[in-house]
Amino acid sequence: MAQYGLLIDATKCTGCHACSIACSQYNELEEEVDYNRLEFVERGSFPNCAMDIVPVQCMHCDDAPCVNVCSTMATFQQEDGIVGFDPQKCTGCKACMAACPYDARALNEARLAEKCRWCPEMLQQGKQPVCSSTCMNEVRLFGDLEDPDSEINQKMAKHEVEQLRPDMGTKPRIWYIKK
Amino acid sequence: MPKMKRRSFLKASAVTAAAASVPLKMSFADYKEAAEEEEGYKIPTTCNGCSSMCGVYVHVKNDRVWRVEGHPVHLKSRGRICARGHGMAADMYNKGRVQGPMKRNANDEFEPISWEQAYKEIGEKLTETIDEHGGNSFLWLEHGVRGQRYANPLLDKIGSSNYVTHYSTCFSSKTNAWAEMVGTTLNGDHENAKYMIFEGRNFAGAIIPHGMNQITKAKENGAKIVVIDPKHSEIAKIADDWIPIKPGTDLAFRLALAHVLITEEKYDKDFVNGYVENFAEFWRENKDKSPEWAEEITGIPAEKIREVAHDLAANAPEAFIEPGWHGLHCHYVNSTQTAQMGIVVNALLGNFYKRGGLMPSADPEFGTFEHDGWSEEEKGPRADGAGVAGEHYTVEASRGIAQTVPDMIEKGRIKAAFIYHFNPLRTAPDPEYQKKIKNADLVVSINIDWNETSVYTADYILPESYYLERTEVPQAVSGHISHDYPQISLRQQVTEPLHDTKPLREIMQGITTEMGMGELYDYSLDDEIEAMLEPTGLSAEELKEKGTVELQTNKVEASFPLCPSGNPNLATSTGKIEFSADKFRADGKAGIPTWIEPKVMPDPSADDEFRLIHGKQPYHSHHVTSNNPDLIKLTKKYNGTAMWMNTKKAQKLGINDGDIVTVSSDMTEKEIDVKVTELIHPDCVWISSAYGGFSDRLETAYNLGVNYNDFIPVMVEPYSGTTMSQEVIVKVAKGGVS
Repeated sequence: MAQYGLLIDATKCTGCHACSIACSQYNELEEEVDYNRLEFVERGSFPNCAMDIVPVQCMHCDDAPCVNVCSTMATFQQEDGIVGFDPQKCTGCKACMAACPYDARALNEARLAEKCRWCPEMLQQGKQPVCSSTCMNEVRLFGDLEDPDSEINQKMAKHEVEQLRPDMGTKPRIWYIKK
Repeated sequence: MPKMKRRSFLKASAVTAAAASVPLKMSFADYKEAAEEEEGYKIPTTCNGCSSMCGVYVHVKNDRVWRVEGHPVHLKSRGRICARGHGMAADMYNKGRVQGPMKRNANDEFEPISWEQAYKEIGEKLTETIDEHGGNSFLWLEHGVRGQRYANPLLDKIGSSNYVTHYSTCFSSKTNAWAEMVGTTLNGDHENAKYMIFEGRNFAGAIIPHGMNQITKAKENGAKIVVIDPKHSEIAKIADDWIPIKPGTDLAFRLALAHVLITEEKYDKDFVNGYVENFAEFWRENKDKSPEWAEEITGIPAEKIREVAHDLAANAPEAFIEPGWHGLHCHYVNSTQTAQMGIVVNALLGNFYKRGGLMPSADPEFGTFEHDGWSEEEKGPRADGAGVAGEHYTVEASRGIAQTVPDMIEKGRIKAAFIYHFNPLRTAPDPEYQKKIKNADLVVSINIDWNETSVYTADYILPESYYLERTEVPQAVSGHISHDYPQISLRQQVTEPLHDTKPLREIMQGITTEMGMGELYDYSLDDEIEAMLEPTGLSAEELKEKGTVELQTNKVEASFPLCPSGNPNLATSTGKIEFSADKFRADGKAGIPTWIEPKVMPDPSADDEFRLIHGKQPYHSHHVTSNNPDLIKLTKKYNGTAMWMNTKKAQKLGINDGDIVTVSSDMTEKEIDVKVTELIHPDCVWISSAYGGFSDRLETAYNLGVNYNDFIPVMVEPYSGTTMSQEVIVKVAKGGVS
């Protein structure tokens, strides 16, 4: 069984937002719902200053607070590591939204707390999720963490990586290449 | 059980019912090669989110356009597309589209009219106008250049020289300099470069996805990226060095780069001796343009200028100043000289026709479609004076001067105008002035949506079918990036038109038939496609199926064009790169670029004065995408309408991040909120070029943000005819308009 993960090289992101809009269209999201976002952080002072961009989305945590708090199993861990969501079981209690340290869940008009699914239909075809496949700068590399020859493992081995809020103990499936 | 309610492009729109009943054009089932993979089908075509026309696949599901992905072969997309490409597909279902032909009535309101009646009335009026004032009183105004194919038969037949593009509002200073000095344009070979300067050029804002991919790959392979721009633009995000220059002074910076290369003998002497004309004259004129001289003007330390010049030389010929596009090239009174200096510095590096330097586009050999009905009458002088002795002689006549149409009408030179795929009321300076286009005897707008130009000036609106609803002639894939082999792509119909719209050729055929010139457009698109593809060996069927095809002929080579005798053979009078432009000299102007002061400068003692600069956001194509709900969602989420202001200057004015301020120039005053940031030069404020919609029939764009064109008068840059859109000083005051 493949174990999926995502390696993000945020140093290459130029903030075009194609990832976000490709996701919205693929998943036919409502206007108020987004599965991923960019966070912009300025550092330094003129003229010695720069902009950092951090893509943020559901981290598909191994120890996911949203899974732990969900009383109806609407949010659950799949065997491949992806944190799945079954809208039929969601009661809209919003406990998952409160529990997520990454603010990665969005309430839709039907008051269901939607989230990234990592495009299972694309994975079945052996393709990357649409946020990755459309990214012109190849910021996002999705792959199988179990396969030692996978591109993601090879790239991860070459770089120092970090995760967002490791202090939360959530064991995210998304890594970021350190600057 | 609650049900997931999916937003669709059709949600809550009046066209929903109509769209649901529109049958799919099943003949395209032939091309649904990937239908087995997913629900629905996909068709290869080209994007219209900007003018790069990237290859895409459009997926259709449940009879609706669902999503878009990049075409894997197309050299501009290579499987990847930007936000615009995704978002603009959905605009097919935008409520702002004109749903059928319209006529302005006596109450100054639009009412529907049948195509037949519109053709009849327009045909009669145009015939009358030509009979009375001559064919040269007709103007064709468009973004360029897709409509030209269908404008030309009419322009030629009636004898009008007045084909005008938007280029003078965008980049004519660059193309004019290249045409005069090089006789062609070349592209940066980003993939193989070791050192790239992007000066006023935001490649990550304008975006050719595969171009950006090549740039980031080159960087991973060790290439250095230097961005020179008053604003920390998106491309600056991946730069090794961001050098914020005082806006309007790039010419001085480039003159100083040349000075270092020449005085320190770091230029490519063999290349200059063999392929450059007028080097000695150039140097005589510019011997005093030292880095110290430029430091005073640009604010960039002389040592930094030397460092950049040294790095360029050390990496040459795999080093270049990116030839650029809009950025710098319609912005200042010295924009033509700035473009000229881009050519001079690159030539000093000897990077022309070199891998990693500047390379030509690979072009396919298309056949020419000839039609018996076409003839060419004698034409009068251009109404905009472009190329006309005594008027704007040095302006490229093939591009014209788009911002002065009201003047052409006021002078009685133009009586009837067709405006195709262009919105000068929002994308040219001074909208109040542009509204006078209405004073022509006949204005026909052939546009997709209820844009400002249609609403305020048109007598008739003849809506063209959306790009996903029409097929066009094959295109050569070229421009701005380097690739060895030519590619051909096809824009083709993905679904039936949602509304009562038509492709341009049919519209022109309808009008001209009423004028007794029906023979002009009496052919089919298939005839054109077949004639064009004939020499390529490619069949129309194959191109339709594949969308984009790469040919294995006409490979570009990294070698300077030479005559059989071995002499340089560029399309200039000497065959060489000419550091002095013949045409400029013939008009009594300077052929050799040298320093010209910007037209205006902010008063250094006035803290509230700024130069107003603008640029492209990566999710908008100037104003044309501004009514797109998907893209405006990004604008709202990331506060894209805010005006950028340097932190220290804001502090002096007591302005905090998010404050509302009043921005005023001699033309207008507007309210806007401020983004206070370190990432901009203190001498300027920056706004996106996307906003300031004032057509109330485009409800997403309406009254959202402000536009730089509101603040500038109509001006004509003396060499190339551009708008000089950053030659404007604004005053900024805390608080709203009082």
